[in-house]
Amino acid sequence: MKISRRKLIVLGGGAIASSALSMPAIASNKKIKVGALRFTSHSASFIAKERGYFKQAGLDVEFEFFQAAQPMAIAIASGDIDYAVTAISGGLISLAEKGAVKVIGGALSEEEGIDGQKFLVSDKAYKAGVRSPKDLNGKRYAVTQSGSSFHYMGSKMAAAENINLSFVPLQKVGAIIGALKSGQVDAWSIVPHIAKPLSRGGSIHIIGNVADYLPNYQITTVFTSSNNAKNERALTKNFLTGFSKGVDDYASTMIDKNKGDAGVNEMVDLIHKYVYTSRPREKAAPSIINGTMRLSDGASLNLASIKNQLEWFKSEGLVKKSITIDTLVDQSYVKIIS
Amino acid sequence: MYDIKNKSNNSNNLNVNKPVPFIGKGFQPKTRSWMGYFVFFIIIFVLELGTSTGVISSLTLPKPSDVLETIIQLFQSGLLFKHLVPSILRLVIGALIGISLGISIGTLIGLFSYFRSGLVPVIAAIFPIPKIALLPLFVIWFGIGEGSKYALIALGSFTPTVVATYGAVDNVDRTLIRMGQSFGLSWISIVYKIVLPGAMPGILSGLRISLAISIILLVAAEMLGAEYGIGAYILEAGSLYDLERLFAGVTILSLLGITVSVFVTKLEQKILKWR
Amino acid sequence: MNIKIKNLNHSYDKSKVLSDINLEIMDGQILSIIGPSGCGKSTLLRLIGGLEKPCSGEITQIGSPPAGCLNAMTYIFQDFALLPWRTVEENVSLVLEDHSLSNEIKRSVIDDVLDRTKLKDFSYAFPKQLSGGMKQRVAIARALAVNPAVLLMDEPLSALDSQTRELLLEDFINLWHRKPFTAVYITHNLSEAVRLGHKILVLSRRPGKIIETISIEKPIADRKLIDKDLDQYQKHLWNIMHDEARAADAELLNV
Repeated sequence: MKISRRKLIVLGGGAIASSALSMPAIASNKKIKVGALRFTSHSASFIAKERGYFKQAGLDVEFEFFQAAQPMAIAIASGDIDYAVTAISGGLISLAEKGAVKVIGGALSEEEGIDGQKFLVSDKAYKAGVRSPKDLNGKRYAVTQSGSSFHYMGSKMAAAENINLSFVPLQKVGAIIGALKSGQVDAWSIVPHIAKPLSRGGSIHIIGNVADYLPNYQITTVFTSSNNAKNERALTKNFLTGFSKGVDDYASTMIDKNKGDAGVNEMVDLIHKYVYTSRPREKAAPSIINGTMRLSDGASLNLASIKNQLEWFKSEGLVKKSITIDTLVDQSYVKIIS
Repeated sequence: MYDIKNKSNNSNNLNVNKPVPFIGKGFQPKTRSWMGYFVFFIIIFVLELGTSTGVISSLTLPKPSDVLETIIQLFQSGLLFKHLVPSILRLVIGALIGISLGISIGTLIGLFSYFRSGLVPVIAAIFPIPKIALLPLFVIWFGIGEGSKYALIALGSFTPTVVATYGAVDNVDRTLIRMGQSFGLSWISIVYKIVLPGAMPGILSGLRISLAISIILLVAAEMLGAEYGIGAYILEAGSLYDLERLFAGVTILSLLGITVSVFVTKLEQKILKWR
Repeated sequence: MNIKIKNLNHSYDKSKVLSDINLEIMDGQILSIIGPSGCGKSTLLRLIGGLEKPCSGEITQIGSPPAGCLNAMTYIFQDFALLPWRTVEENVSLVLEDHSLSNEIKRSVIDDVLDRTKLKDFSYAFPKQLSGGMKQRVAIARALAVNPAVLLMDEPLSALDSQTRELLLEDFINLWHRKPFTAVYITHNLSEAVRLGHKILVLSRRPGKIIETISIEKPIADRKLIDKDLDQYQKHLWNIMHDEARAADAELLNV
């Protein structure tokens, strides 16, 4: 399976190489490494690579795949990768505080009218009468780790509903799903393309939308090392340019359906080279389509949401109180929404 | 040939007096206990100097004094005990289950050939399994609460105890057992008065290993569903990339390890005072 | 109580260890058994005590053990076989604990045997604190505590240096003199054999056969370290054993 996946990437690379000949090169092919998870939310990077947008920006991008967001932040800090897209986490903020990483743009965000992240409950809790987030008082809420985005969502919801939750760290998404199915934990929140198939089994139920509590929630951001942000401005701009084109393609095809179903199918084929590779195309397609969420236009960043998140991390004592938004974010690269 | 002869002639010269040179120097290990503290002190001093001057970046290592401050704060806020008490409870209960089961099964294996033939392959199969890999399974079996944590630590301390115990029972001096039989001692008496006390040194050195493994597994056990606990604290610090807290946790954990080791030494001194 | 052995044969796997042994152990007497190393002396002792089963032949106890005997056939081992985690007193107590005796009786038995073996002052010492000779005295005290019908001694002195050996030999003689006991005394040391034995049995090299039995009439208490009468016996025994021992020494070990 691994070999076939590699082959696909190689084939894709070949296609770009042949088309790149006809394009004007902005700069010499600078080799960079981009960290990614095999999630639909990382599609913009995949599209930018497959369609040659990075190439046009003078970048020879190589993906480095990770199992979780947290190690990506550390890999940026250690200089093993140059750019990555992931959720704001306590670890990311701590690394920014140590002068290692910087948020430079936005990616995935909640948007009104587009299906966003869901609150889920176990069948046990559902049968016990939990029908909406406000019924979760005193329940066990699953998170990967303290200071993860799951922790943030649960905590914000609890504050809004004025209820108490006990947060159970389970490290991995797989472990959380297992615990939720067997009723070991009561509730969780997750992106729709994972939430929906789970709720179809009947052992897990969707009871609410994260967007109701966190409108315009900037879920993932583009980030890089402080050194790149400060001293490699041209390179960073080129990356964001390529990335933004990927975002544009993704949004116009998958959300606005500008190219109709044929366009969606073509896009699914492309994304399937990276996501759900172990599943056949026809099984992967619904998950990919269901997983469609808004990627911020032009990698623009919702600073209000980031500030909100930073304040929460500080109030929970997860990061140092002295950290300011400028320690975390370099606002000079993309459009700032606030 | 000529030289040798000449030399031996010289050595016969009784007018030459000289003391026998001392050639047995060195190669005698002595304990110099202050050296350990000294090395510790030097390492910490160098780290403190390096981190405060910026030679060692805050991304690489935390300042030792900051780590100390974190531990003090942890103590003053009462959080230390909030983390330490559940951890110690898990360690004690889990290890107690694993070790007592291990000694019982190990003794059975040592005494009965049916148990030996039946269980040794099973134990050999369980021993190399990384117990951490079974944690999700334990969560399903014993719940996400304390049950799965006890189970993980118990299984982790069980296998080395079994192996140490039946090895120790095997190594009990057979002449002592034959002596017991020759005096007509009952089977129970032979087991309780000869076999078990005779196996005790081996069992206790197994205990050292089992408890060390228990502490390692404590951190793993607290990965899943633990809000409080030293392991949970370390994992949280790691995920937040908070090096001060990470090192504070690790320091507390190694202090716990030293305490356990001292405890086993005291136990050995008490139980094995006849040695 | 006498012990009678009739037509005893024993082998391990295919190699024969003992062949056609006939003998009688008389009550109140000491029987010394000597023979070259590997001749099956120790095997014979284990058979007599019931630690092993003979392949063929009979070992019978004639008469009943003395009153108050807790363990008819009692061993004294070459390597003492003391429990290192028990004190002198507790080592003796070990063999009494399985019998339903009152604490007072146990106490008096222990005191008596420790007294007889001159160990009173060392009741609370652990074996590792004792010299080899002392350890063997503890083993003797332990054996006496069960008031045995027959003491089975397997080279009890061979782990000790020669002076200690002599001291202990005197202790044995005194003990027997004060209260005669029945014993089988296995040794490869001719002088020990003639000092202690009422009867001396010479075994051949493997497979062990009885090649000679001699009796010494001189009372045990009168025998001395340097004793002309005993020298005669010792010379005679050495003449018998010389060739056997040489042949046994030249054999390859295949045990």
